[in-house]
Formats: sequence, structure tokens, C-alpha cells
Amino acid sequence: MQSVQTDVIVVGGGGAGLRAAIAVAQSDPRLRIALVSKVVPMRSHTVAAEGGSAGVIRTDDSLDNHFDDTVSGGDWLCDQGVVEYFVAQCTAEMTQLEHWGCPWSRKDDGHVNVRFFGGMKVQRTWFAADKTGFHMLHTLFQTSLRFPSIQRYDEFFCADLIVEDGRVQGVVAIEIATGEFYLIECKAAIICTGGAGRVYGQNTNAGIVTGDGMGMAFRHGVPLRDMEFMQWHPTALPGTGILITEGCRGEGAILTNKDGYRYLQDYSLGPPDPWPRPKAMELGPRDRLSQAFWHEEQKGRTVATPLGQVVWLDLRHLGAATIHERLPLITEVAKTFAGVDPVVAPIPVRPAVHYTMGGILCNGQTETPLRGLYAAGECSSVGIHGANRLGSNSLAEIVVFGKVAGERAARYVKAVPAGKSEAARRQADAVEARLVGMLGRDKGERVATIRDEMHDAMETGVGIFRKADGMQAACAKLALLRERYGRGLKLDDRNRAFNTEWLSAIELGFTLEIAEVLAQSALNRKESRGAHTRLDEFKERDDVNFLKHTLAYRTGDGPPRLDYAPVTITKSPPKTRVYGGEGKKAVMT
Amino acid sequence: MARVKTYVRPMQGWWRKNPYYVRYMIREASSVFLAIYTVILLVGLYRLTQGEAAWDAWRAALTSPGSLLFHWLALLTVGYHAYTWWKVAPKTAPDLRIAGRPLPELVVTAGGCLATLGTSVLVYVIVRWM
Amino acid sequence: MADTRTIEIEVLRYNPEKDSEPHFQTFTVPFTHDTSVLQGLQYIKDHLDGSLTFRWSCRMAICGSCGMMVSGKPELSCHTFLRDYYPGKVRVEPLNHFPILRDLAIDQTDFVKNKLPSIKPYVVPKQEKAVSAGTYLQTPDQLRKYYQYSQCINCLLCYAACPQYGLNPKFTGPAALALLHRYNADSRDRGWDERAELLNAEEGVWGCTLVGYCSEVCPKQVDPAHAINQNKVNSTMDYFGVLKLLMPKGGA
Repeated sequence: MQSVQTDVIVVGGGGAGLRAAIAVAQSDPRLRIALVSKVVPMRSHTVAAEGGSAGVIRTDDSLDNHFDDTVSGGDWLCDQGVVEYFVAQCTAEMTQLEHWGCPWSRKDDGHVNVRFFGGMKVQRTWFAADKTGFHMLHTLFQTSLRFPSIQRYDEFFCADLIVEDGRVQGVVAIEIATGEFYLIECKAAIICTGGAGRVYGQNTNAGIVTGDGMGMAFRHGVPLRDMEFMQWHPTALPGTGILITEGCRGEGAILTNKDGYRYLQDYSLGPPDPWPRPKAMELGPRDRLSQAFWHEEQKGRTVATPLGQVVWLDLRHLGAATIHERLPLITEVAKTFAGVDPVVAPIPVRPAVHYTMGGILCNGQTETPLRGLYAAGECSSVGIHGANRLGSNSLAEIVVFGKVAGERAARYVKAVPAGKSEAARRQADAVEARLVGMLGRDKGERVATIRDEMHDAMETGVGIFRKADGMQAACAKLALLRERYGRGLKLDDRNRAFNTEWLSAIELGFTLEIAEVLAQSALNRKESRGAHTRLDEFKERDDVNFLKHTLAYRTGDGPPRLDYAPVTITKSPPKTRVYGGEGKKAVMT
Repeated sequence: MARVKTYVRPMQGWWRKNPYYVRYMIREASSVFLAIYTVILLVGLYRLTQGEAAWDAWRAALTSPGSLLFHWLALLTVGYHAYTWWKVAPKTAPDLRIAGRPLPELVVTAGGCLATLGTSVLVYVIVRWM
Repeated sequence: MADTRTIEIEVLRYNPEKDSEPHFQTFTVPFTHDTSVLQGLQYIKDHLDGSLTFRWSCRMAICGSCGMMVSGKPELSCHTFLRDYYPGKVRVEPLNHFPILRDLAIDQTDFVKNKLPSIKPYVVPKQEKAVSAGTYLQTPDQLRKYYQYSQCINCLLCYAACPQYGLNPKFTGPAALALLHRYNADSRDRGWDERAELLNAEEGVWGCTLVGYCSEVCPKQVDPAHAINQNKVNSTMDYFGVLKLLMPKGGA
């Protein structure tokens, strides 16, 4: 086993991880940083984010507006103190990215342009065409090259944390090219490993979004919070689940069913003005739009295609000039993967799993309950998204809290002594033995078998709409799958060098545990709120009994132990969550 | 990476494996004909300085069957060379825009080819008429 | 599915722990109208041979992971479709001009660790600007001057296309030089001098003989051939000391 000493480890090289690493480097260039990522950073899933990133800049907008939109968007499950902090930092972070070269789309006078996004009262979504995540990620990655104190470990698979004396002292990582194990010792670790969308089969996520960091933290006693809240993005391509950005609707696109009818007006999102109106119709929040699709499907008003039921996302009225200038990526994606040119035909879309609102419990300073462990980005539950995330709040989240995590970790490491190498080494050896042991088996089930059954269980039992018996069946099935996984999988690939079958088996272990946490958390939330909506006796929001966060703790081989924690309400007491209604016409920018 | 036994594939015969590369090599080879033709012209220029007899001898040599064959081949390949020259010319220019829209590469290529053809015809007419 | 057919995928295999050289192996794979080459490879890995190794991630041609040679041409396997090769075989090999690590995974470190950082791919401002001072102004015209070159997803198809890189790996190469131009052309940047030595070098723009195949294969229409060759003019003017006279950097 190779041994490396460093001060701060950042696990994950996406937007949050890179921002955190840069923050550590800027706060003290003498601190050693190890950026450990299972892919080369520009492949991280931040790259696929399309629509934009929120930050108040218009004079007719305010931090209070952004705060209100976010809290109501989250169906009042947000920790409002953290949201207040968040909205106040967004614009500065977007400006910082601009200084670092991010090619934000501009107005004619050279100022940054902002567009409407779902659930937002005023335009505040900064965008770089419809490839905002791509541009942000490349800007952050290329800027990170300016800092020699960031030592990168590209294509190193982080397999476990080393926790000794109640604090994080390192990670065990596999150098993918060789299969060699590395013990990287540290004083602090920042987890930025992204979401867990691959728990489901139909999703917009990359293959790497398997919840590794959530799984690692979970296994070391850190609770996962609010895992039952998974976001279905309303407009993804059927079959592949490839994302068609909300930015289309921000530019004025409409959703129609098989009769050409703008069906969202039937779901308290209307009236259907012939022009876009903020927080109404197609600019409503994602959970409501995805739920509307499900209802339309039940009523038989969706369109049947070989790849499943769809509705139409119609951009034709926007005109070729706007489509090509503002939405070039989805134009290319629609043509390549759906055979449709959005200038002349509507795009077939359906909901697909997109974002994990829940995650590793941390406070507003990204500190988890485990000393020395921080979490930022989609893998964390810092408290800003609540029960449903607004579009363009996630790209903002990764840089706002990536920076916080970096600065906090930098401060922390100066105050703590180095850890005990021999104890860390013994733990690391045990991890290596366990994982290398997976390679020897020539009997057992294939990775794909367990994975596909997990997907079926989740899609069937813990989908957009949930019922007690469906969730119970999913929980039982997942417990069984964990058991079957625990007996050992058969791997065709016995190599140490570049063994991606082995790595996907390790990932599956994390994903299965997270799936069970998700299903159990959902079963036990006996209300409907945001993205967790039930069709059984718990159809309504219940602020008396369930205005609280779900915390899931690992118990070993069994299902998680659930606990609850209060939600912090400051300025916005829970109200009825209302969209649509009468209002002014949106001035599109 | 030193610990992993990577495999480096040889480059031998690289240009024969893809029609794009074959066309590229023909393009590059056409400059050989252009170079030889240039040398012939330079020799002719030199013969001109040596007096009328040398000049007439040079001109007579040009009418040999071998020379005619070379010149016909050279006309074809240098013509192809000119076409490929104009095809890549837009890549050497900065981003050209006309009235706010990007100038299509086809315009530069077509314009250049026409200009080359036109100039060649003009030179031919002048020389013949003289 | 009614229209499921099968196709033969011939893959170049190489296992550094067992093989002294690569060899082809053929698999028969079911496919429909929209099955990509990547999905074909995933089918093989899931059901036929779990040791088949290849990189992939986003499946939508934006992460740049899945570049490989498909029937002799550099392609992103996620947006290349089996239907376009049927009924013939599809031959899949790792990207040309890179050492093979395993099967379809190539050694990317020359690009990621050498070429990309060497061109200083970040804004070098005239002076550091405080975030509180707000954003730079940049008009849509100024954005257009470099935007196309900022689209590179680092997929390395252009390096697989470039015979000069194949013959001489010291050549900085298409993507890196296009990114160099992207920063030079950005109105917020004043880094020309810092990048000049590399740009003007034999391994810089002068290593390019305008084969042009890089721009042909680029899935994002970055046009690296254009980025490199317009800089031959700039490089020449720089050599003669007249660049700054003719192209002063405007205010931002």
C-alpha cells in the first residue's frame, strides 16, 4: 500500500470539490491539498448541468425574493438561516466565476443576462448558453491549475474513510490504472461526491453518480438526512433519460399532451396565458410538473412511443434564432438522441430522476457530525433545498458551499495535530483485504442482475407517487438485495489493473444502502411534502407532525434507524404552497 | 503510470488507413510537382540571360513528349494544389465577419478558386495575344 | 422489441497483466434503432464479458469520456449509433496516438498533466479585480470572439485525428492550442506574453501542417485547425515585433 500525507483531502473533483480546493489554496498556500477523484475532473457530472445558476442582480429583485422562492419551493422543509446565508452569497460567487473566465451570456450592453427559471418570481438565473455546468466546471478546473498546492489524484477511486479517535484521518483510495491501494492521510476531508440518482433506472445522471461519498460517510456513523426527497426533472428524453433543460421553459417553451393541450392548467398551475408568467404553468416548480405528468399518464392523455409515454415540449414558437443562440446544446441533443429538430417539431419528454435533495447531514458551515469531515454540493444536506429544489439553486450551491467547506477545513487543520499513522494503516489494510477479496469469486450473481432488480424495486415502489404497500415491498426487496450482494458477486474481471467491473461492484454496495435509506425514509414520512407525495391516506402536508427532517443512521446489515430533527424557521412561517394564479406577464430577457 | 505496461501502437502506414489522410498526402505530394515546375521556370529564366540560342534550346526541350507529359500532370496536380490551398485558406484567417454574420468558408474557397482561374485565364490570353 | 436485430462488434482487447500485444475479439449484440455504440459495449459488459473495459459517464456528448475509434474514425461512442454500421461489423479500438492502458482505455496523462496546464488555461487579468467591483463588461461581440473555442470537452478525438501528434507527441496539439487561443481572444485576458513562448515554438502552432482532420472529427465544432492556423499569422507578426501595434487589446 502506498502512503501519502496531506492536510486536506477533497473527495470528488466536480464544481463543489474544485471550489473547495481553490478555497483552501487561497486561504493558505502552504496547506497541502489532495484532490481525489474517480474521474478526471472535467468528466464530473457538473459538466452536464445546463440551465443556469441563481444570483440576484436585477434592481426589481431582492434577496428576500430569492429566499421566499427557495423556501416555498422547498415546501418549508428548508433550514431558513442557511437559506438566508446562501442567497446572500450567490451573486458574489457568480461574479467570482466571471472573473475566472466563465463565459456568461450577456446583454447587448455587456452586462450579464439572467433568465426565468421554475418557481422563481424574478429573473435571476445566470446562464452560459444552455451549458452552464460545462462552462462552470471547465472554468473551475482550469483556474485550479493556477494553484500548485492542489495535488490531484485523477482516477483514484475513494473506497473508504479512515476514522480514528472520533475524527477523520484519511481515505483509502484505489489507483484505477493499476489497482494499487493508497492510504492518503489527512487532518480534514471534504466530501464532494455528488448525488445518488443511479439508485433509479430512468435518470438524467451520469454513470458515476452512485452516491459513494454518502455511502462512505453513512458507514462511519454520519446520518443521511431527508433522503426520501428525490427530484424528478419533468423534461428528460424517454429511454436514455438525457436532460432537456428547464432553460427551455425559461425561454418560453410549453408542455402539451397528446391533444396539444397545455395540461398544466389542470393542476393549479394556470391560467394558461399565451405568454410565460413566473411561477405559473411551465415555470412552476419541478415536483408539481413531474406529478402532473404522472396524472396525465393515468388519464391516458400522454403519447405512446417505443421508449415509453411522453408529453411534448414545444419550442417552435421561440423561433430558430433564439433556439440556436440560447439553447444550442439541447438542439444538438434532441436531434442526436430523439431525431427531432426543436425548431420544427416538439421534443418528446417525460420525467426522470435528476437530483438528490437529501444527503450527508451537515450544518450551515458544511461541518458534519464527524470531526474533520465536511460535505458540500449535492452529496450534502446543508438545508437549502428542503423537500424540492428550485432549478439553478444547485449550481449556485456547489460554489457557495464549496468555498465555505474549503475555508472551514483550512481553519480546522491548523488547530489539530496529525493523526496516528499506524492505526490508520491497520484500518487501511483491512479495507484493502476486504475489497481485494471481492476479486476471487467465481460463483455468485452478476453486478447487472442486482443493479437492475434494485432499479425495478425503486421505480415501482418509490416513484413520483408513493403508497405504503409499494414502499414496504421496496424496503423488503432492497433488504433482500443487500443480503444477496453481501454473499458476494461474481466478477468476470480478475485483474487489478483498470478493473471497472470491480469498481462498479463496490459502487453498487454504496448505492444499495442508499436505496434502502431512501425507501425506509419515504415509508416513514407519513405526509406528502414537495417531491415526496403519497396516494394513500397521507396525501396532505402535515406541519403538525412532520415539519421535521428525517435522519437515517446505519445499523449494520439491517435497515437504518430513523430519527427526526427540527426545521429552522426564521422569516417565513409555513404557508400553503401556491403557484399559478393571476399575475403580470413576464418580460423575457 | 510507469508501473503499468502500456502498449504503444506503431505509426507505420498511418496515412493509408483513412481516406482523409490519403487525400492529405496527395495534397502534400502535389507540391513536389509545383517545386519541379518552379525549377523548370527558373532554368528558363537563366537560359534567357544566356542569349537567344540558349533560350531557344530550352524552349525546344519543353516540347519533348516527356516534358509534355510532365506538364499535363503538373497542371492537374497544381490545380488540385490550388483548390486545396483555398480550401484551407479560411483556417489561416482570423474570424471573418460580414455585417455581423460569420463569413462562410465556402465564400473564401469559391472566391479564391475563381480568382485563381480568372488570373490564369488572363495570363494565358495576354501571353497568347502577345 | 419488434425491431431488435443483432450486430457484430469487434473490439480491440489488451490486458497489461496478461497480453504482450492487443488482439481483436468479436461479440454479437442485440440493438434497436437508437442503440449507441456505448450501449452496445455496456451490453457486452453486463451480459457477455464483464472484463471489457471502457470509459463513459454522461451519455450525452458533454463529458468527453467515451472517445474511441469506431471503424477507423475517432468518435464519441455515446452518440454514434449501431444502426449506421449494420449489417457490417463495427470495429471498436482505443483512440489512436495514445498508449493503451487496458482495452479501450488510453493513457490520457500527456494531455491532462502536460499539454493542458502548459498553455496557462486561465484568465490572466490586467490587474486583479475584487469581486465587490462586479463583473467585467463583455459585449456579445467580444464573447463571440472566443466562445466557439471554449466549447472543447477535452475528448481527445482531435489528438487521435492528428498525425503530427501521432508522429511527434511533443506537439502541443489541437485541443490545447485551441484553448490557448480561447484565452488570448478573451477580452478579460492579458496573458499573450505568458503564452507566447509556447505558441511560437516548433511544438506550438508551427508543429501543425494543417491536415485539418482535427476540425473534421471535433464533436463540438471547436475548429482547432482554425484556432491554430490563424495564430501562425499572429506568431509571425509577434516575431517581427508588430503584433502589439496591429492588435492592441481593447479595454474590458
